Formats: sequence, C-alpha cells, structure tokens
Amino acid sequence: MLRIDPSDAIPIWKQIEEGVHRLIATGTLGPNDPVASVRELARELRVNPLTVSKAYRRLADAGVLTVRRGEGTYVSDRPPTMAADERRRKLRDAARRYAGTARTLSAGLEEGLDAAREALLELDGQRPAEASDASEGASAGEPKTPPTHPRKHAP
Amino acid sequence: MTEAKPGPIIDVEGLGVRYGKTAALRDVSLQVPPGAVTALLGRNGAGKSSLVRCLLGHRKPSSGRVELLGLDSWRHRAQLMEQIGVVPEDPDAPPTMTAEQLGRFSARLYPEWDAKGYAARLQRFDVPGRIAFARLSKGQRAQIMLSLALAVKPRVLILDDPTLGLDAVARRAVFEELVVELADRELTVLITSHDLPGIESIASHVAILKAGELLLDEELEQLKSRFRRIALGRVDGRGDRDADGSDLFEGLGPLEVRSRGRGIEALVSRFDDSAFERLRALPDVHSVETWPATLEDIVIALTDGGSH
Repeated sequence: MLRIDPSDAIPIWKQIEEGVHRLIATGTLGPNDPVASVRELARELRVNPLTVSKAYRRLADAGVLTVRRGEGTYVSDRPPTMAADERRRKLRDAARRYAGTARTLSAGLEEGLDAAREALLELDGQRPAEASDASEGASAGEPKTPPTHPRKHAP
Repeated sequence: MTEAKPGPIIDVEGLGVRYGKTAALRDVSLQVPPGAVTALLGRNGAGKSSLVRCLLGHRKPSSGRVELLGLDSWRHRAQLMEQIGVVPEDPDAPPTMTAEQLGRFSARLYPEWDAKGYAARLQRFDVPGRIAFARLSKGQRAQIMLSLALAVKPRVLILDDPTLGLDAVARRAVFEELVVELADRELTVLITSHDLPGIESIASHVAILKAGELLLDEELEQLKSRFRRIALGRVDGRGDRDADGSDLFEGLGPLEVRSRGRGIEALVSRFDDSAFERLRALPDVHSVETWPATLEDIVIALTDGGSH
C-alpha cells in the first residue's frame, strides 16, 4: 500500500509522509483507523526506523495522526488536508514532471492535456471510453475544449 | 553551554595505514554520531577493510587515532569487544560447531548475552541449530554471525559487507533484522556494502573511500539533494564553446558531462535551484530535464577512475 522509492531525490521520510496523505485522500485509511507502528513499517519497507519516526512525528504535529499512549498510532478524528500552498506546489511540481515526459514524447499541448485528463478520469473509476463523452462533438480537426470538465465524482 | 553535546561513537582522526611501502589509508578522518547508520562505501581495495580492521583493534594505525565509545580501539580492544557487535566480511567460526554450540560458547564470554534473542533470530532466519557451521550456506552463516553480534546487545555494530554473496531472500532477512534492531534500541552502525540499493534506504550517513582517501562523509539526504542528473535537450551555437559543455553547468559541479546528439547530459554534484534556473534561462538551451541520482550513480561517478 505504502510504497517508497529509496533512489528518488525526495527524502524517504517525505515519501512516507506523502504516502500517508495519499492513503487518507483515497479513503484507504479512514478517521481513527490504526496505522502500522514505526517498527512494523520500518521492517516492511526496510528503511531506517528513524526515518519512519520522523515522518510520523511530522504527521502527528500536523494533526493527521494521533499517538495514543500504549495503544499505537491512529489516523486523527478529522485529519486536516494538506495546506493550500503546499498542495499547489506539489501539483505544480508533478505537472512539471509530466510536462517533461510529454515533451520527450513530442506530445503537443492538446495531446498532453488529453492524456492527463484520461489518467485522472481513470483514477476516479471512469473508463477512458466515457471520457470521450465529455468532449463529444469536438471533431478530430477542431481544438478540443479546455480541461474544465465538471467533476462528476466529488469526494 | 550547559548541555554537553554527545561525542561521536566512532571517531577516526588522521588515520594512516601502511603495509610496507604501500599506503592503504591516508589521513582519514571520520565521525559516526550516536544512532547513525554510516555506510562506508568504495571500490575493492579502496581501504574499507583496513579501516574496519583498525576499528576492531585488529591492526594498529601507522598514524592518527581511532576511538570507539571514547576509547582507543587498539589499546582497549578487550574492553571494547563486549560493546561491539561484528559481522566479518568472511564469516568465520569453528567449522564443526553448530549454531546452538556457538550460542552456548558465546554466552560464557559475554556477561550481557541474550540467549532468548539469539534463539529467536535463528528461528526468524530459519537457520537450523544443529548443523555444523561449515555445512551451512553462505547466507545462513552470515545470519548466524549477525545473530551472534546482536545477542551481545552491542552499542556499536560493525558490519563488513554482511550481504555479500547472499541471495535476495537472505539479503532481505538480514536488512529486516537490522531495521528491527534499530527500532528497538539505541544502536550505532558502521556498514560496508556493495549492495547500494539495499543500503540506500537504511543508511543515515555515507562515507566514501577512494584509493585510501576519504572523499566525503555526510548525511545521505544532503548528499542526494546535491546530486542530480540533468539533460539539456538541444543546445545551439556549440561551436564557440568548450568542447565538452562543462561550461554550461558552471556552479553546479558537473562530474560526468556527455554530449548526446545535439544535447548534453551531466551528473552534477552541487545542484541548487538558483543555479538550475540560470541554466534554464540560457537562450541557447532548449528544454531542461532533471532526474534524481541514485546512491549507485553517485558512488560510481565519484569512484570510477578519474580524480574527482
């Protein structure tokens, strides 16, 4: 569930921190659910326990996790979502990485945006075929509508 | 200052080791703080084993000093033995002794011997207790050595390539056991390894030796944040520039610069955002991409040939 890439430039503690945020965002972890102990997670990922501990401490400081003495660590009652500016920065960074790949594949603006939209819809459980519904009417030659499709799947 | 900063657990200062006329180590200084896991890396023959031998008090430094837990490793070897767990590069134990016999033997040597922990680790490793050491696989022998080392409840653990020659399952089990031990109590580790992907997620610090000299000793996170691969997709007007393109990466500490078609790729050792933005803004440079450098990339770039 929680996957890390030790060779990435992003420090492992940050990958764990973001991983927990992601598990909460996708609903894999709900309020008050127990999370793996530092020892268990370190063992599972084979990373230095201090690294896991750092991630957990930051998550606890941010109110995402709650440590119950003698019991373990849990997702908070109402875990706060990521701070707005951090969220924006992450989204922009990820988009830049994607843009690099798209450019490598010499995808133009439209093709690149389409692929991103398709991937997002897929993640929401819509098949790519349905995605074409949103842009129906746009014939092959015309530019397609910008990616302002309505969010059908508001969480 | 009211609080004394805890001194390093391993403190090597100006260490030199000579074998006859050959210098195995030259002026090596290295500090391992409490709780750190320092990966000592370098090519074969770079001096890792010489350094480990000095740490264990098996060899007297030709110059400089080596201290563990504040004690000179050569003069206080016997005293230190009780606080240091060791997994030697070549697991050696009397060939006819079984794991159980080795445990009973060690119990008499060490006052703090943890018999229960020893038995539990052998069980987790799935190592048979009653088969002679010489008849076990390389992985099983290494696992016995690690179990023996940890049963001493050491404050310092010195692992000399503990996963060398082990298969993927045995290697994973060794790293898992190490991680659990780190979670359970305060332990300082120095580990040499060629398994760079395996060590990359466990090490907190990295020290790199090359031809007997220490190239660096720093936190892994910092090391990885300053190394980066950069690819410039297309660079115009190359005629009037340096042949290899190193000038483009000025201020970024380029190590491996290669042209690739009309573009240029480099591994840089001093990546920072402002230098990168300058590069991105150069009018002759079309498209800039970056990738993280793995520990393996970094070690290879620093220790392969050349004089960086």
